[in-house]
Amino acid sequence: MLDARSAMASAKPFVSEALTLREAPDFTIQQLSWFTTADEKSLKQALGAMPLRVGSTAESDHGLLLRIGPRQLWCFGKLPEFYGDVLVTPLSSSRTRIEVAGAKSRDLLTHCAAIDFHENAFKPGHFVMTGIHHTPVTIHCIAENQFHLYALRTFGLSVWEWLVDASEGLTNA
Amino acid sequence: MTAFRRRGSGGRIDRTTTIPFTYDGSRLFGHGGDTLASALLASGKTLVGRSFKYHRPRGFLSAGVEEPNGLFTLGEFGRTEPNMPGTLTEVHEGLIAKSQNAWPSPDFDVMAVNSLASPLFGAGFYYKTFMGPFKRSWMFYEPFIRKAAGLGRATEQTDTARYDVINGFCDVLVVGAGPAGLATALTASRSGLRVVLAELDFELGGSLLSGTNESLERWRKSAIEELSQQPNTRILARTVVQGLYDGNQALLHTRAVPGSVASRSESLRFKTIIHCSGAIERPLVFHNNDRPGVMLAGAVRTYLNRFALAPLKQAVVVTNNDSAYATAFDLAEADVAVTIAELRAAPSGDLLARAAQLGIAIFPNTGIADVVGTKQVQQVKLGGRHSVTIDCDVLAMSGGWSPNVHLTSHGGIKPRYDEKIAGFVPGEFAAAHFGAGSVLGEFGILAAVRGGEAAARASLEFIGHKKSVKAVEPPPIRDDRAYGISSVWGTASDAKKAFVDFQNDVTAKDVRSTHQEGYLSVEHMKRYTTLGMGTDQGKTSNINALAMMADLRGLSIQETGTTTFRPPYLPLTIGALAGRSVGHHFRPTRRSPMHDWHESHGATFIEAGLWMRAWYYDWAGPSPETAYVKEMQLVRKGVGIADVSTLGKIDVQGPGAAEFLNRVYVNGFAKLAVGKARYGVMLNDDGVVLDDGTTSHISENQFYLTTTTAQAGEVMSWLEYLLQCHWPDMKVHVTSLTDEWGGMAVSGPKSRETLQLAFPETDFSNEGLPYMGVKDITFDGATVRILRLSFSGELAYEVHCPANFAIALWEHILRAGEPLGIKPYGLEALASLRIEKGHVAGLELDHRNTLDDLGLGKMAAKEKPFIGKELRQRENLQAPERRSLVGLELMEPDKKLRGGSILFAATDEIKGHGRGYVTSVTWSTELQKFIALGLYQGGLEHEGEEIIAAFPLKNEQARLKLVSPHFIDKEGARLHA
Repeated sequence: MLDARSAMASAKPFVSEALTLREAPDFTIQQLSWFTTADEKSLKQALGAMPLRVGSTAESDHGLLLRIGPRQLWCFGKLPEFYGDVLVTPLSSSRTRIEVAGAKSRDLLTHCAAIDFHENAFKPGHFVMTGIHHTPVTIHCIAENQFHLYALRTFGLSVWEWLVDASEGLTNA
Repeated sequence: MTAFRRRGSGGRIDRTTTIPFTYDGSRLFGHGGDTLASALLASGKTLVGRSFKYHRPRGFLSAGVEEPNGLFTLGEFGRTEPNMPGTLTEVHEGLIAKSQNAWPSPDFDVMAVNSLASPLFGAGFYYKTFMGPFKRSWMFYEPFIRKAAGLGRATEQTDTARYDVINGFCDVLVVGAGPAGLATALTASRSGLRVVLAELDFELGGSLLSGTNESLERWRKSAIEELSQQPNTRILARTVVQGLYDGNQALLHTRAVPGSVASRSESLRFKTIIHCSGAIERPLVFHNNDRPGVMLAGAVRTYLNRFALAPLKQAVVVTNNDSAYATAFDLAEADVAVTIAELRAAPSGDLLARAAQLGIAIFPNTGIADVVGTKQVQQVKLGGRHSVTIDCDVLAMSGGWSPNVHLTSHGGIKPRYDEKIAGFVPGEFAAAHFGAGSVLGEFGILAAVRGGEAAARASLEFIGHKKSVKAVEPPPIRDDRAYGISSVWGTASDAKKAFVDFQNDVTAKDVRSTHQEGYLSVEHMKRYTTLGMGTDQGKTSNINALAMMADLRGLSIQETGTTTFRPPYLPLTIGALAGRSVGHHFRPTRRSPMHDWHESHGATFIEAGLWMRAWYYDWAGPSPETAYVKEMQLVRKGVGIADVSTLGKIDVQGPGAAEFLNRVYVNGFAKLAVGKARYGVMLNDDGVVLDDGTTSHISENQFYLTTTTAQAGEVMSWLEYLLQCHWPDMKVHVTSLTDEWGGMAVSGPKSRETLQLAFPETDFSNEGLPYMGVKDITFDGATVRILRLSFSGELAYEVHCPANFAIALWEHILRAGEPLGIKPYGLEALASLRIEKGHVAGLELDHRNTLDDLGLGKMAAKEKPFIGKELRQRENLQAPERRSLVGLELMEPDKKLRGGSILFAATDEIKGHGRGYVTSVTWSTELQKFIALGLYQGGLEHEGEEIIAAFPLKNEQARLKLVSPHFIDKEGARLHA
């Protein structure tokens, strides 16, 4: 197997008392797209679950599912066989995953995007497709104060540098 | 000279702390809780600056945000901030303040000589004086005028402060933490909803901070204590709500805590906003009303009660309303001898009685005729019914109160004039906006508290909050007394130096001359006189000027109207808006999947849009001028490898994919066989070329589309737009793969051999992979897509793979090709090779050229429809005089040919826009001369002609030969090899 190389090979984790940033590599994303309600039904049957609204998530037998569009979702796992017009686009290399964790993680995110990250508004399981540092980023809340940020791979290091700079401001404040 | 003395007790200052600071190079001291203004007054600095135009001596007019005179340059080196009001600046250790607009000092200012010529400097002086005597005189004078103009000087050094920008959300935003704001915030906070309380002062309480009532102080403290314990409430002191915008968005700016370097801007989205922004006191207009020691009455009270600063011995109060009596009474209780000049005929009885008790003399129907004392008030000459001269240290004036309608007007809501208070109040609030207290013209404290609670309840109801909320206990004080005011604006009918706008040196006389000149609209008045401009934006001057103009025009103030209130409310340093988007973080950087490899293998990078691209490698030489030539030779003679990951890559999938591409591209894609690629060009819907690229047919319903690097984002958006808006029924999905796939071009006569070594199980023969063929293979567990196509004009391939494996694959190919001499080549060589071949790229695809202009007209299908097909037939797009693609060869080897040069026919006069221009230039390793691509009127009709390239910026000209743009291998033998 060819060696996989991260876009953030040169980045070192940022660790402070209330905030930790690190790369969370080793994930797979398969984008599934379809055209009709019938396609969606068969897909749901195959996956065993289906997040119903855009912005919602579901845990399936085949991994985590993120509904990223009216007729699109991301699956973080191994896919079953599909029938019908379900299109698969592998995107595992397209994103860099950054984990933000700690008591100040929500504070950090308020520096990044115009999203309400209050604990009552952005709860574990929620995700949002937004922008950080002028680049598209998907933010997924995986626990109370723990988030996965999916940045475009080619911007990954730049987004990381932005996050570290904002974190330094927070932790030095 | 000094006008104030620090009292032995009282006030909100912390006498246990002594804080040193620097003012104009001198070391002074203040206490905790002092502002720069109060500390300077306590240090005997009544004169703190000079006025903008006449350089008249100026002292503090106010104690708050409205300060027009007491502006300072704070800090030094990169941390220099000009025009900071001393009234908002907290004294802290390390504070360095410098006075402004005075040299060498405010006490002795050389430019004060201006005031001698002040009769000449009336409104419109510059416009009238510097227009002649010649047509372009203004252009001559302008630099000098600009140099002399402006308040303060910005530093040219890098600002070392940290500015953060954050995004916030709340249910209720309360603007102002005076009695109304505190009551509002308490009510809203008790609901459990998310509340933000923004206060521009560093202490909460607003007008309560200037009083002495102990019951009110207990109430204030209790309110703050409760609010600070609520987890759902954010209290933001030192915070200005700078602007309100559509979608319930507010811009807040929080000043740095003294001693720290971090300030913060917040884009706050709220569900409702409650304006409790209070009111600002107006000055009166009379002769020499700008002398140091002439202050707003409310400010004198603030300095007295909050900062423990009393006038030395005597004070005069002049007023047209009841509010100034509180100042007079407090001064008298602090053992200051007080005289009141009352512009009205008869103030109410309770005030007269209290004044009598305190020994205050009141002169009714009396104003100020003159102020004696240049650098500080010494005497006041009363005018009107009583003509008396009174010694005094401070003259406190009150022309009434103007509700702070700035923010309430940001949504385009014009304020409404209220005769009852002689001031503008907010017009009808927009949905989600509420208000309470002085901003509505309700000046009593109990009215503010009750109004605040009511506004909060209305706001909760608006949000849909149903639960009951505990009532706010009002402070145990006597009922508010009615506010009495008479619309008397001053006694300046013939005064020469009666200032309306202190900061811009605009006098009552200027307003009159403005009217005489015919500038009747308040907007014209503002521009003609500069009234209401500057850092204070007319916070103290607007109403007086409007009243004067209304009087001169014989209109009501409402009919005269106001100028437009626009954000920001206070001057805002650019850094506060830029936040962290400075320096390295000004914009994001995009890196190829092979970036780290390039970095560790001698690449020099160049910015190409957001991308950092390998420009050239050190194996080929130390500078781009020589390195790219070597790299070109490598590709022409052997084999090189280049990173082409920056190309746009789009997955086009679905049963309708072929038909979709057939509509998008000018040439046909409906019948492209699986395993084949095709060069395609797409047009905008206006018939102009949008982009080109190669699209490969991967499987029955899947295509792999590539775009130029520059247009990748735009093409992706364009395809999505077409699918979502024009053809929503097409069964096609598009997904950007630019980040998913890395790409490398393996180019040169030995490229086939190299790839055969790298992938021995794949057939790279012409039969196995013909020109414009594509195949997916699996190599070492990874999917690898190999396309046989060429940008350089040589036998070449592109190898694409998932970005995670790109470096490993790149290194694998380098290892395999090592015996053949493979090396990497960079962007400069890549671009130069394509010029030799005559391929168009971003510099030619600039959204101005048609297919025919670029020599691609024959690609356009005649039978099938495609985007832009009809509009490309427009007469202007078919005009014979259009510029079209040509090749150019430099005929004078000793001269330089530059991109952007203007092209002329040999017989043309070298003037104007010429007949075309050079788009791309390179040294040709094959032809051993400089060659170029360009666009030229008539194009190849002029093939073989000698033309001129002119570069006026460097006064250069060179002779060129116009040739075909295909400098090498016109038949394509190399790429088909």
